[in-house]
Amino acid sequence: MENTVVKKDRPVILKVEHVGKKYVIKNKIELPSNATRRQKLRYKVKSFEKNDFWALKDISFEVREGDRLAIVGRNGAGKSTLLKLISRITEPTEGRIEYYGKIAAMLEVGTGFNQELTGRENVYLNGAILGMSKEEIDARFDGIVEFSEIGKFIDTPVKRYSSGMMVRLAFAVASTMDPDILIVDEVLSVGDMKFREKCLRRMNEIATSGKTILCVSHVMNIVRGLCDRAIVLEQGKMVYDGEVEKAIKLYNGINEDIRVTHREFADLPRPKWYTGEQLRMLSLDVLDNQNCIFRWNEPIRFNLHIRSKETFENLGLRVIFACDNGAAAGTAFCEIKGPVQAGEERDICVCVEKHNLAPGDYKIKLEMVENLPYDCFNRLDSITPEALFITVGAMELDDAQDKLSDNRSMWVASWGTSRIPDAHAELQARQ
Amino acid sequence: MKKEKKAVNSKALKTVIEPNGKNLQYWKDIWRYRSLAFNLAKRDITVRYKQTVIGLGWSIISPVINMLLMTFIFGNMAKMESDGSAPYSIMVYAGLIPWTLFSKNFTISSGTFLTSAALMKKVYFPRIITPAGASLAAMVDSAISYAILLIIILISYFTTGFVPSWRIIFVPFFSLLPVMLGFFTGLFLSPFNIRYRDLNQAIPFLIQIGQYVTPVGYSFAVACAAVPEKIRFVYSLNPVAGAINAVRWCIIPDNAFHLPSFLATVVCILIFIPLGIKSFRKGERTFVDLV
Repeated sequence: MENTVVKKDRPVILKVEHVGKKYVIKNKIELPSNATRRQKLRYKVKSFEKNDFWALKDISFEVREGDRLAIVGRNGAGKSTLLKLISRITEPTEGRIEYYGKIAAMLEVGTGFNQELTGRENVYLNGAILGMSKEEIDARFDGIVEFSEIGKFIDTPVKRYSSGMMVRLAFAVASTMDPDILIVDEVLSVGDMKFREKCLRRMNEIATSGKTILCVSHVMNIVRGLCDRAIVLEQGKMVYDGEVEKAIKLYNGINEDIRVTHREFADLPRPKWYTGEQLRMLSLDVLDNQNCIFRWNEPIRFNLHIRSKETFENLGLRVIFACDNGAAAGTAFCEIKGPVQAGEERDICVCVEKHNLAPGDYKIKLEMVENLPYDCFNRLDSITPEALFITVGAMELDDAQDKLSDNRSMWVASWGTSRIPDAHAELQARQ
Repeated sequence: MKKEKKAVNSKALKTVIEPNGKNLQYWKDIWRYRSLAFNLAKRDITVRYKQTVIGLGWSIISPVINMLLMTFIFGNMAKMESDGSAPYSIMVYAGLIPWTLFSKNFTISSGTFLTSAALMKKVYFPRIITPAGASLAAMVDSAISYAILLIIILISYFTTGFVPSWRIIFVPFFSLLPVMLGFFTGLFLSPFNIRYRDLNQAIPFLIQIGQYVTPVGYSFAVACAAVPEKIRFVYSLNPVAGAINAVRWCIIPDNAFHLPSFLATVVCILIFIPLGIKSFRKGERTFVDLV
């Protein structure tokens, strides 16, 4: 609360007033089947009609100095268009944007890199493209080389770099910029794990240094980690402006079509080995939850409806949690007690009690097996495209029942996808 | 302390973005981004000769070969007359450099939206910076060509006793004529090049024709004599010819200054500076949506 009061005192650095951007798109005209010759002739000259398409409409907001604003929305919601308008790459059709100081965009990595030039030459060229003077780049050159870990290859033509090296160098140049407003558009998903962490650390440093940041990302954990305010765009209109968590919830709400509590599996593609002869998972219902958004470590309970054609004694279910990008985050095993008779339809009540999943979006995949002796199993059915989408919200203090005194409600993407139960640590006297 | 002061300064800078906005900011930005133009020019020059054996030698070889060819065809085979006392090769070379300046600048600025689209779509800078940078690179090439011209003049001094005019000191100044002529007419065409890519095909072709229509390989006097009298005056108004004449006038002592063509050049430049900038500015606003 106090925080917001302080913020009001800071000067407005960017003001967007009723901004709209119109594109003219061409649609093919359908020629009627009984068209006259004249119509056909005309059609040959002009077979398209022009339609207006508003990529953005009536967007207004203010950014105060030190705000870290996220722009959230689905593909095609107008996020990138908005950033393009603010960074002056293209002009708005209506409205007015006003800002103080220098705006610089962290580019899609490698823009303006010339393959033939050496790393050193590219640093200067790219710096100039980003609006830095030679003196500014001179002063930062060593830091750039060090950060990018390019070392002795700095005088080698960039075309001989590995793609990782190029990406590192480009990010190093971009992140040394010192504008008044920094625009970050989905650039952090670059390089290998180690470098990605380094990038995130650098971004967090910039974020905490009091710089004004505008950020677009589909990775909600980056948004959570970097930003303290968010606007949500939906089909070119602004639908929310405020707290990050609420915005993310709203953004997730927009995805309602996939975030449902009841799911039929009939139409979902099954793996090749699946015949459906033995057992089939039919549908799923989430219990005690309306929107599939769970608080941290809130139990995830659902009912799984199955139909069996054979009798099974030892059924097992694997609940696989996968991240946004498809990589598995972890798996829960359940043993289903009691026999299932042939020809029976049964409900299985599953409860994943303490999943320890970090805040973020997850897909749940299901795999049904028959457990055999000697750790063997027989796969019966599998829903490998997601059976369910869930979102795990930020850790709130009352959720974490153990002693969390400092603000550990945030989660940084580089910390991984699960929160391992707290470790013991004790101060000891030195011997 | 110093940095803080700078930060305050930069934040005082207010930018307003409005549809069809006329912003004076643009001209200030050009000044602020001037180092980018130099960097782009540097890039163009370094990249061109990377991984070549003779490197910079290429910007000597191509005009010299061109000159030798034209001298042979027009001077030796067609036996056309040179300009006054000048050896034919010097007359050709003195025409070839301004012509190249014109054609390169014209190609650069008319095609700039297409050649640098990738960059322009990603980052803001005053768009005129990219053709300006490329134009600078072209001027460096011409400077090398002029150095070669000096060597040729020196050689012909010892072989034929040709002495260039004292006006040779004006060469850099008059060389700006073809640069500006090419650059601003090209700018004028640049937005049309986005919509109608036909231009992209037509421009190299037009330049090739232009090289023969314009007195590059032969003297202006010879050309005028060959053209029917009725259209001679109109022919002499070719603005590129005016620029070439002016440069030749600087070098060749007994070349008479041809005022009508010179005026045609100057008037053309004066018209196309505002026209070109206006057209370019209009194009740069929305080209991102069109490319």
